[in-house]
Formats: sequence, structure tokens, C-alpha cells
Amino acid sequence: MDWNVILRLWCAVWGVLALAGYGAALAGLTGERHTVRATGRVVRVREPRHGGSRRDGVSVVVAYRDPDSGREVVVTNEGERGTTFSAAWEGREVGIAHPEGRPHAYRFTRVGERPGRGLGRPGLALFLACAGLVALVAVERGWPWALIGGAGPCAVYAAVLLPGAARDRRKRRAELAAMEAVRGRIVAVLRDVSVDQDDGHVLTTLTPVVSFTTRAGAVVTAHWGGSLPDAASARGREVTVHHAPDDPADFTLDMAAERRSWKGDAALHVLTVAVLAATAVTGAVLR
Amino acid sequence: MTITADTPPARPGPGRLLREVLTGAAVGGAVAAFVVGCVLERASLVVLGPLLGAAYGLLLLATRPRRRREAAVAPRTALARIEALEAAGGEATDMPTRFELSVVPDGAPAFRVEIRQEVHVAELADLRAGGAVVVTYPPDRPERIRIVRRPTPEWEERAAGASLDPAPGPLLGGEAAGYREEGYLVLLGLLLGVAAVLLPLRAELFGLAGTAPARPGPAATASGGGSTTTVTSGMGTVVLGPGRSMLDPGELRAAVESLTERPEGRRALTLVVRERLLTVVLAPSGGTRTGGFDPRSLPYDRLPALVEEAGAGEWQVTADALAGPLVLRIVVTGDGGARTLEADGRGRVLRRTGD
Repeated sequence: MDWNVILRLWCAVWGVLALAGYGAALAGLTGERHTVRATGRVVRVREPRHGGSRRDGVSVVVAYRDPDSGREVVVTNEGERGTTFSAAWEGREVGIAHPEGRPHAYRFTRVGERPGRGLGRPGLALFLACAGLVALVAVERGWPWALIGGAGPCAVYAAVLLPGAARDRRKRRAELAAMEAVRGRIVAVLRDVSVDQDDGHVLTTLTPVVSFTTRAGAVVTAHWGGSLPDAASARGREVTVHHAPDDPADFTLDMAAERRSWKGDAALHVLTVAVLAATAVTGAVLR
Repeated sequence: MTITADTPPARPGPGRLLREVLTGAAVGGAVAAFVVGCVLERASLVVLGPLLGAAYGLLLLATRPRRRREAAVAPRTALARIEALEAAGGEATDMPTRFELSVVPDGAPAFRVEIRQEVHVAELADLRAGGAVVVTYPPDRPERIRIVRRPTPEWEERAAGASLDPAPGPLLGGEAAGYREEGYLVLLGLLLGVAAVLLPLRAELFGLAGTAPARPGPAATASGGGSTTTVTSGMGTVVLGPGRSMLDPGELRAAVESLTERPEGRRALTLVVRERLLTVVLAPSGGTRTGGFDPRSLPYDRLPALVEEAGAGEWQVTADALAGPLVLRIVVTGDGGARTLEADGRGRVLRRTGD
């Protein structure tokens, strides 16, 4: 059997699945359309255990009123429960979602998160069908078409996102400039060690937990995922915390690194567009 | 199965175990059929593989209402007394730990169960024999019991003030045993599915590797599948049976490969194709690889279109690389005389004459 026949089959199968998925999403048959959503509040933040695990995020107790039953429900964030809290304070608003009739299958979401339309899987199927098409064209007309078909759409997509990324960068710069500086303390250092089953490599992750009080009076407990000198012995150390005035979860212990990172991201984005476009042009010249 | 107030939890039934085997068999069979179909170039198998997977997917869809009903059942939360625990140790901070628990559900008989669960080394200090913990499990699947590390304040208070007695009765196998059993059954099914595809086709699959080349002798002739293949040390010929054409999909490629397959990479000096006849003049074996061309590199998919483009009538394609790059010359003799068309090695038309 020729490869082009197999590739045609591949494209047809994924194309049909993508159409079926989009049809189901339009008809409202996906799970996302049957999700109950509510807004809750953190009623308690548990103290982190020094040397404990960062898995599952900051331990919180959340209360919310279930729209299905009208009852007040109290839940915690253990295991696979959607959004992980890297920062929490009493009174913080959180989103709760669960399938209709299954409040025990709750998961946390961002507040105000719009419900998905169930287009993820059809989108993946469409991508696989398109990848098959590119391979088919490359097999039938020569390998330069793989460069055009592969890099061309990606270059267009990345270029379309470029203005939005520039706007985000300007917005982020303004946010960083408006951040408030408060004193905080490292109250614990979490330690997670994993061993690679294949090569025995040991990976140790240290996560400092910082506690700080905002000017509005919220006592925030947060995991710091960035770098901190001599993190292993940082417990009890005083640090300066910069946080957004209206969202203490948006904080940093290293303002300079934060600014550098955004500059680097922009350069990488432009470079990616240039490389993808050059690849597509190379394909067009060689075809 | 639902656990009522006076029924102790039981182990998974044979139906669920059979489902694990079937799942493995469907996955193994589907993948094996697709791969073997590609190797043997058999369209039916290539299609059968995905179809088998899709059919099993539809079968699973049929059980969706039942699974939804099961998922709608809220897990049961209960207190449990730790009878014994044993951490595996090691460098990783998440330690696989074996627990023997006496589970004391509200309004239901207590039972003993053994589970394995990863516990962070810092949390191990809180867990001691005789202590109380909060556990949760699906009422119909007690083998999936697990210790709750972050209970709600209500359950936290209940566990802090609890004094539990050991439960009587046998020790039930826990989550780890159930998963291990299911894992082995899926693997068994996988092997059965692969074997079900491979065994009936073993002669064709492994016969390919065992076929001796018919070339080294002075002349070897083989007939089969409606074609006759003749190979000498310097030339190979394939004659197709009546009703077949070298322009049929895959026919010419198969004929060329039957002549040049072994030794690998045997090159050709000239290749001539007619409606049912293929003749290949082979380059001397063992010499330099620069002479001639690789006959497998011909633009097979383009040939029918090129012949059609050349015109209607008796046709002949000649391929050679004697004067540089590979050139295809197509000569068609019909009512209007002879027409020729030349194309390059990728099937792009270079020139035409006789239009």
C-alpha cells in the first residue's frame, strides 16, 4: 500500500472526527455545556509545613454556595482539583466548577473564567488532519512542501499573535511599575525530591513559602517559584515583596528578573516568527 | 455493586476483569493490524486496525450511561484507624507506604483493608499506628480507598477526637493490588490481540525475510500472482498476467522491487516499461555506486499521469541516467503517429515532440 493512500486515510479519519467534534460542540453535547459554576471564598489558609511538599499548592479551605442544591459547601484543595493555588489569603475569591449532579467532582477555576466550548479535542483532530495533508503534499510534490506547509501557517499564526504580545508587554510593564513593595518573611521551605526511574538522576526542588501582609490587610501565604539565593536555609529570612495592589497573587521577590524575563520573551517571539518565515520561504524557493 | 449498611465491600467482579482483557486485546489488535498492514502493503489490514479501535470505542460509548451513573455516586468519607504502616524508604520524598487500616464508616460495618499510597516524608511523622485518619472511597470500589491529607475542618476535628477500635474480619486487598491485577490483565489482553493478528500472517511476514534472492544463478524464473519474473546477473524481466497493467496502482513499484530488492541498493542502468512488461538492465553488483540510478527513486505516482499526458496509444517508458541526471522518455504510438514526452526524475515534464 502506498504511503499516499495511508496518508489520505489518516486525513479522512481525523477530518471526520474533527467535524463530528465541532458538530457536537455546536449542538451543546460536550461536557463543558453541562458544568455548574459558582464563586467561593477561601475561609482558611493552613500553615505550610517546613520541609513539606509543594504539590497541590497552598492548603486552603474554601466555602461556596452550590447553585444546584443551594447548600453551603466546604471543600479543600487536595489532589487533581483544577487550578493550583500558589498564593492564598482568607477572603480570596475562587471559582468552583463541577459537572451537573456531581458536586463531589468539583475543581477550582480562575474567577470569571469563561466556560470552554469543548473545542479542544476537535481542534486536535483538525491539527492531525492538517499535519497529514502537509505530509501528503510533501510525499507527492517533494520535501520543500513540508517546509512550506509546516512552517508557513505557524509563521502566520505567530505573526498574528505578535501585536497582542506587544500590548501584553506594555501592560505588564505598567503593572510592574504600579506594584506595591511590602516586607515579607520566608515561613517555610518546601522540599520535593524525585528520582528518575531510568537513569537514577535525583532532582531536588526547593520552594520557599513567603508570608506578607498587603496594605489592605490581607495576610498572604504564597509559594515562590523563582530563584532565591541559598533557598535551603531561607526560613525566617526577611524579604521585599512586590505585589499588584488589586491582586496579591501577582507578586515577585525579584523585580529585576521579572523585567528581564519580559524583554527576553519579546525577543524570542520575534525570533520565532523570523525563523518560521525564513523556513517557509526556503521551502518556496526550493520547490 | 452498592455497599449497603450491612454489606462489607468486596473485590472487583469478573465482568470488570474481562473488560480489562478486552481493552488490551482491542488496542494490541488494532495497532498490530495497522503495522502489519503497512508492512505487507495490505489495505484491508490497514483499514481494519483503526476500525477495530473505533468499534471498541463505540462499545465503550455504549457503557457510558452506566459509567456516568457510577461517577454520579458521591465518594464515601470515613474515619480509619491505622493498624500498621510501612514506608518503602529511598531518596525520593514521596514514599510508597503500605497501610493496614480499620475503616469505620458511619452507619456501616467496619472493615479492614490494606492499601499503598505515596506519602511525603514530612507528613509521615503525623501518621502512626493506632492513630486516626480520614479516608475516602467510592462506595462500590473500596479497593480505591485513599487517605485524605487535607480533610475539611469538620472531618479534621472528628479525626482529632476519635478513638477507634480495630475492626474484625479479614484484611481486604487494597488499591495497589487492584491496579496491579488490572495492569497485568490489560497486558495479557494486549499480547493476545497482537498474537491474534501476527499468528495467521506469520508465513507472509517472516517468509519475506527468508526469501532467498533468485539472482546469483545464471537465470531464475518464478511465476506467481499472475506474473512471471526472470532474473539473470545483468537483467531482470517481469511479465504481468492478462488483465493487469504496469500503470495499476503499486504494480510497477512492486515489480521493480521484486527485481532489485536484494542485494539492497542494486542500481539500474536502463529501465523499460510497457503495458505488461518491465525490463531492467542492472548495474554490475559490487562495483561503484555512482553508475546508473536507483530504480526505487522513480516517480511512480506520476507515471500514469505522464503516460496519459503523452497521448493515447501503445506506450513505452524508458528511464536512464546515462547522460547525467535521470530522464524518463515516454513514447506513444497511435493513430496520429508517434509522440514523445520527456520528464525529469521527479516527474516534471521537460519537453514534448510530435504534438
